[in-house]
Amino acid sequence: MNSKKKHAVSVIARVIYVIALLVIWECVARSGILGPRSSLIFPSLEQIGEAFIKNFIKGYAGTSLWIYIANSMKLLLTGLVIGILLAFILSGLSMVSFIFFKIYDLTVSVFDLLPGIALLPVVIIIFGVREEVIVFLVVHAVLWPMSRNMLDGFNATPRIYVEAGKNMGLKGAGLIFGVYLPAAASYIVSGLKSGWARAWRGLISAEMIFGIASSPGIGLFINQMRTNMNNAEMYATLLVIIIIGVIVQYGILRPIEVNTVRKWGMTK
Amino acid sequence: MSKEALLQIRDLTKIYTDDSGEKTVLKDLDLDVEKSEFLCILGPSGCGKSTLLRCIAGFEEYSGSVSVDGTQRREPGIDRFMVFQDFNQLFPWKTVINNVAYPLSLNIKAPKAEIKERALEALNKVGLSGCKDQYPHQLSGGMKQRVAIAKALALRSPIILMDEPFAALDAMTRSGLQKEMLSISESEKNTIIFITHNIQEAIILGTRILVFGQQGHILFDEKNPMQRPVTPASEGYGELWEELHHALYEGSLPAKTSK
Repeated sequence: MNSKKKHAVSVIARVIYVIALLVIWECVARSGILGPRSSLIFPSLEQIGEAFIKNFIKGYAGTSLWIYIANSMKLLLTGLVIGILLAFILSGLSMVSFIFFKIYDLTVSVFDLLPGIALLPVVIIIFGVREEVIVFLVVHAVLWPMSRNMLDGFNATPRIYVEAGKNMGLKGAGLIFGVYLPAAASYIVSGLKSGWARAWRGLISAEMIFGIASSPGIGLFINQMRTNMNNAEMYATLLVIIIIGVIVQYGILRPIEVNTVRKWGMTK
Repeated sequence: MSKEALLQIRDLTKIYTDDSGEKTVLKDLDLDVEKSEFLCILGPSGCGKSTLLRCIAGFEEYSGSVSVDGTQRREPGIDRFMVFQDFNQLFPWKTVINNVAYPLSLNIKAPKAEIKERALEALNKVGLSGCKDQYPHQLSGGMKQRVAIAKALALRSPIILMDEPFAALDAMTRSGLQKEMLSISESEKNTIIFITHNIQEAIILGTRILVFGQQGHILFDEKNPMQRPVTPASEGYGELWEELHHALYEGSLPAKTSK
């Protein structure tokens, strides 16, 4: 098979797979084989579709899902920016001082293993039930995997790049920006991917555990649907979460990868 | 040894220390290299010839001194520019032209356009201006080595250090690059120190040839008497080859030329 044909076949296979799943779902929903709870576990596709639209138009208690999404995104973005900046600064400093590297390496190893949610009680005591808690958890989710990847990337920089850099007169910060950072690009991109995935999950989890009335997020919306037994709306919100994830993955992260490490031949 | 040599190396000793003890790689080496000389250094593996180049480039710690134009140099700098054997010496995140222009922009204050101009001019000399917007991963090994040479040409480094730059290339590409090096060394004024395992390469390229024994002990040091361009059919080629081969493999000079 040539690659074009192969591609077409793989697309068709995946489309058939998705349609089959939807058909099975609909059959289960209509048959009611799961008894009285059937419509709660498997609302029909039609109900979910309607709920999807209703979420945005009517929302919950007069607040559209758009508002919830906007709030979540604002906190997520703030956390991501802080986390990524911190990762760059702290990992960069680790390249300047060996002692700092050893200490930061230990810190990253320890905190990377700590789920953000487990920190929630402490963080709430520090900040109170406020937006800062969510931002903190997003920073926690992105900082450690990002730093781990950057440290690994810096340490994996081929000696020849470093010597070529020194040869042309680079030293200190110049060497970090001119050689170590770009040489670690593929590590940084994969750090971004895992950091984003963790932050997105951490955000939704934190919002589900406690909602902030002043700035309600997507996680809180799901929880409100749950308490009201609006299961079709709940499923529709899960769809929204997946769609946002896909948009970030293919609309932001993928282009970053294609325009850097792929273009440079540093990854296949 | 004249006082005004461009590169003066005095009492250079390099000792590597590891768990198994100390190993003296270079011992009390003295060497003068004149301006515009094309010095080829031959030597068996482990004789310290690569280490010498790394010491000159400032990548290693050593005792003794390396001076350029009478000033001591210990740190790396563009007055001694290294062309490595490894094809991956180019930055994969920069296009060919930017790989050449980047070291320039770090070292000279000039408008961007002028720097590009100078980089392009250097690429032209190695015949690669057509590939200026490609990335290194799109080039063959021989092309990458040419770009590395172009970097040194663009910088107008007085001394170019070449550590077996063609050793990993196939014979045809290698011979093409040798021709190019020859014409570059005739048109440019750079002093070149070129390390190789290949006797023919040394005879074709060098205006002066050195053979190292162990610990950088100089077994042979003479101006290349042959008229360029040298081919195996040139007069005197056989004798010179024989002499160098003997020095290289026996660690001594053949009886008839021994002094």
